[in-house]
Amino acid sequence: MAEDKWRTLMIAAQNGDASAYRRLLVELGSWLRSYYARRLPAAMVDDLAQEVLLTIHAKRHTYDPSKPFGPWLGVIARYKWIDRLRAMKDGITDELEEGLAAPDTGEAAHSAYTLDALMSRLKPAQANAIRLVKIEGLSVKEAAERLGQTIALVKVNIHRGLRQLSELARAEHHEF
Amino acid sequence: MSFETLIDQLADDLEPVRPRRFWSDAAIMALIAGIELALLFAIGFANLDMHRLETQPTFGWRLVTLGLISLAAGFAAIRSFDPTYSAKGALRWIAALVGVSVIGGMFLASLPGGLAELIQRLDWIDGIHCASRIAGLSIPPLVGLMLLGRRGAPTDMRRSRLLVGVAAAAWGAFAFVFSCPFNDPVFIVTWYGLGCSVAVLAARFILPWLARW
Repeated sequence: MAEDKWRTLMIAAQNGDASAYRRLLVELGSWLRSYYARRLPAAMVDDLAQEVLLTIHAKRHTYDPSKPFGPWLGVIARYKWIDRLRAMKDGITDELEEGLAAPDTGEAAHSAYTLDALMSRLKPAQANAIRLVKIEGLSVKEAAERLGQTIALVKVNIHRGLRQLSELARAEHHEF
Repeated sequence: MSFETLIDQLADDLEPVRPRRFWSDAAIMALIAGIELALLFAIGFANLDMHRLETQPTFGWRLVTLGLISLAAGFAAIRSFDPTYSAKGALRWIAALVGVSVIGGMFLASLPGGLAELIQRLDWIDGIHCASRIAGLSIPPLVGLMLLGRRGAPTDMRRSRLLVGVAAAAWGAFAFVFSCPFNDPVFIVTWYGLGCSVAVLAARFILPWLARW
């Protein structure tokens, strides 16, 4: 079980074992990239996974060795994800970067924890606006034309939809 | 920066750490609270003798309820600095405890007969004095809890900040009981409540800024 191995490695890392820590971070890096690939646009995945590795480093003393490692990792990954969703919500009027579109992983439609699964719980107008602008990379104006809505309404739908997504994500149970 | 470079840097920076323990944090808070109370007695702030205090009908009510609220909220606040802990259940119990305490206090007093009596019983000049003292006395536990929160990793900041505020406020009020000459539960609920609100508001605004991670 990866979780047991990670727990052992983390305990060793807390005691100062650098090689165990390096192995742990390599494995956590892969896990985090996979975790965020199902939840965020591709351009944000590596950035957030690295940020979480830094957080794990800074907060490694908060892991209690007597408890399982999975919930600790899962809750930190989720907390940082929600933080990123909030940042996306606050910056919705920013220009979109090239390559923001996320690849279709296939898994997304089936997992209760995926972005798609969460988006399915939004109002269609909100989900469509977020999908077009935040995932497919269209400008707000292009999305407004395609959806037959005003630019202001698209912005409102994105804003409210992302806020709702944050709340839904917060309400989700831990991954482990 | 590539993953490999980042991992190399983090592994090179690695130093042994002592895992955070609930009981060591609780011991730190008990020490802060104990020192504050001892200092208050030492400087004569808590200058009522026990015999006089025991004759106050609300003394036991205030001491027990504020002590319990402070203890319960303090424990829950410290636990909430663990990222995996959810304080939802603890907050419900504490809210119930506060509700029962207020209702219990009302049984000790007759309700005001009219507005004039209410204003007289509220005694706002002394009331503001009480509230400001309580707010001041809640500062040491507030600072202690917020620093512990900064060292921890609270993931539910809304509940953490509320618990920190309630714990510190209840402790400030608890300490103030030893020098408070007022007995009327209407006065106590109003002005103690106001003093406590200051600490809760301070935690509301400062903790998220201080303990953000």
